[in-house]
Amino acid sequence: MLKIFIGFVVFAALALFVIMKGGNSLDMGGEKHGDTSHTEPASAPVKAASNTP
Amino acid sequence: MATLDVNRPMTTEEKKVIFASSLGTVFEWYDFYLYGSLAAIIAKQFFSGLDEGSAFIFALLAFAAGFIVRPFGAIFFGRLGDMIGRKYTFLVTILIMGLSTFIVGILPNYASIGVAAPVILICLRLLQGLALGGEYGGAATYVAEHAPHDKRGAYTSWIQTTATLGLFLSLMVILGTRTVLGEADFAEWGWRVPFIVSIALLAVSVYIRLSMNESPAFAKMKAEGKTSKAPLSESFGQWKNLKIVILALIGLTAGQAVVWYSGQFYALFFLTQSLKVNGADANIFVAVSLLIGTPFFIVFGALSDKIGRKPIIMLGCLLAVLTYFPVFEALTKAANPALYEAQQKSQVVVTADPAECSFQFNPTGTVKFTSSCDVAKQKLAASSVSYSNVVAPAGTKATIKVGETVINVAVTEEDIAAAKEAAEKKVADAKAATPVDDKAVAAAEASVKALSDPKKSKDAVLTANLSAALKAAGYPAKADPARVDSVKVVLILTYLVILVTMVYGPIAAMLVEMFPTRIRYTSMSLPYHIGNGWFGGLLPTTAFAIVAQTGDMYNGLWYPIIVAGMTFVIGMLFIKETKDVDIYEHD
Repeated sequence: MLKIFIGFVVFAALALFVIMKGGNSLDMGGEKHGDTSHTEPASAPVKAASNTP
Repeated sequence: MATLDVNRPMTTEEKKVIFASSLGTVFEWYDFYLYGSLAAIIAKQFFSGLDEGSAFIFALLAFAAGFIVRPFGAIFFGRLGDMIGRKYTFLVTILIMGLSTFIVGILPNYASIGVAAPVILICLRLLQGLALGGEYGGAATYVAEHAPHDKRGAYTSWIQTTATLGLFLSLMVILGTRTVLGEADFAEWGWRVPFIVSIALLAVSVYIRLSMNESPAFAKMKAEGKTSKAPLSESFGQWKNLKIVILALIGLTAGQAVVWYSGQFYALFFLTQSLKVNGADANIFVAVSLLIGTPFFIVFGALSDKIGRKPIIMLGCLLAVLTYFPVFEALTKAANPALYEAQQKSQVVVTADPAECSFQFNPTGTVKFTSSCDVAKQKLAASSVSYSNVVAPAGTKATIKVGETVINVAVTEEDIAAAKEAAEKKVADAKAATPVDDKAVAAAEASVKALSDPKKSKDAVLTANLSAALKAAGYPAKADPARVDSVKVVLILTYLVILVTMVYGPIAAMLVEMFPTRIRYTSMSLPYHIGNGWFGGLLPTTAFAIVAQTGDMYNGLWYPIIVAGMTFVIGMLFIKETKDVDIYEHD
């Protein structure tokens, strides 16, 4: 369990580093689909991702 | 076969089972999320050459492929898993997912092969949706059938972490590639790399899964000739099983799905779209909360082995019902207090002919709502403005009243001419200023350009008038980073994720325990994917439509609240606790 915990902490640190570096260019919406037309966010993550496909 | 009443550390075999199943499922989610995360680039590469009618159809198909098709994958692969075995079926699902993803990476774009490109892409996305539909049931069943009786919740909860981990993995690979190649190359061809990388992940998964043994319960059943010849008929054609499938959907997975989507994705949507928080900051807030919350999948899975699955899942649903409104309101105060203050103070009224007002349900993002009422509501909903509705006489065009300022949604040519004249004066003033502010000049010139374009001029005038009125009423265009209470935001988001872990952590074990071995894969997969694919997947779209219809940005929460509430009531009344069920009793 300790190894898993350490592994997760390393993964989490890496993930956070990536997210911080990614800035606005990362879209964490994952499964979004076709909704952009409605909204005018301040500064959205990569747009038209919500135009999913 | 996993024995009853064992209280001992995990064996090596059991660790291998959990690791193999979870790793493969992480990779499946990685494959699936890549598509959504890179959707903008994919759209540009494959759909930009299409005419509007075709683009609409493809958008619809892509939406269907990601969500609607999952239950069909559940049926197809569930049946296979109950007839030929868990091991080979969820080897097939990962092969299909991995190969589909890889092929997306090497698929020529629209510019190279024309309309064949989006057609093939959609087929590949459909295969991904089908594969995903088959993966979860297989992984959960496989792990559960290896787990000791009193550790089933703990063991299967590892599978429950995979969606979150898969999302992060996809983002890490995307950003890593982007950083190495640079933006221009990434947009041109580098986007293919994360898809192509999937072949390596597939190889690892296949190697590991090939080395696994079949589930002992299934192997025993097969040796005794007791496997089902027609799992679909048994699962859904016999009322004694079908009623449990239906109960599993409305009394468990529907509520779990809406809580999951609310915490995992809607919270991000709400932060950026409704609260206008900077995208980069919102990503960090959500990421931190997800990472803090992820271990709780295991915590609640393990806890469910002690106190039961039902209390934890039902409590999660109940807390969602009772606390979503105050929690999201608290999120507004923490992330954009100026917006909260403006909503309390300002009176905004939309006066419109009801015949012109649609329910703006738009899952593919391609439907255009163009009546004056729809345009008014869309703009206000997009600006997170709360408004009340007044009925206007038939045929009247909509107006928006902000405080004492009345704005006509139907813009006239005179309005455009006046706005253009004012904009041209602004350009002249900006150029004559000392020193010249280039940004101001560029913005003013862009305004003139928009007002000169017949397709954009009406929208430009309306947007400008509305923005000015809202600004005067105190509505902020963006969340002020200096006023964002980051700690509070993360705490609130983490609470939402904890609810996710409560409803999702124990659910794999519970679904497994509700069905006999011979039809388990089929029976548990379908309610899971209808719940998550349909109830959950449609949450953002439905929530927005409700917000636009009613004029209150929190009203979208009624959708998850009603569904979670339904699950709570049905679950409490009709779902039996399953933690002590002998899952081999009917074998």
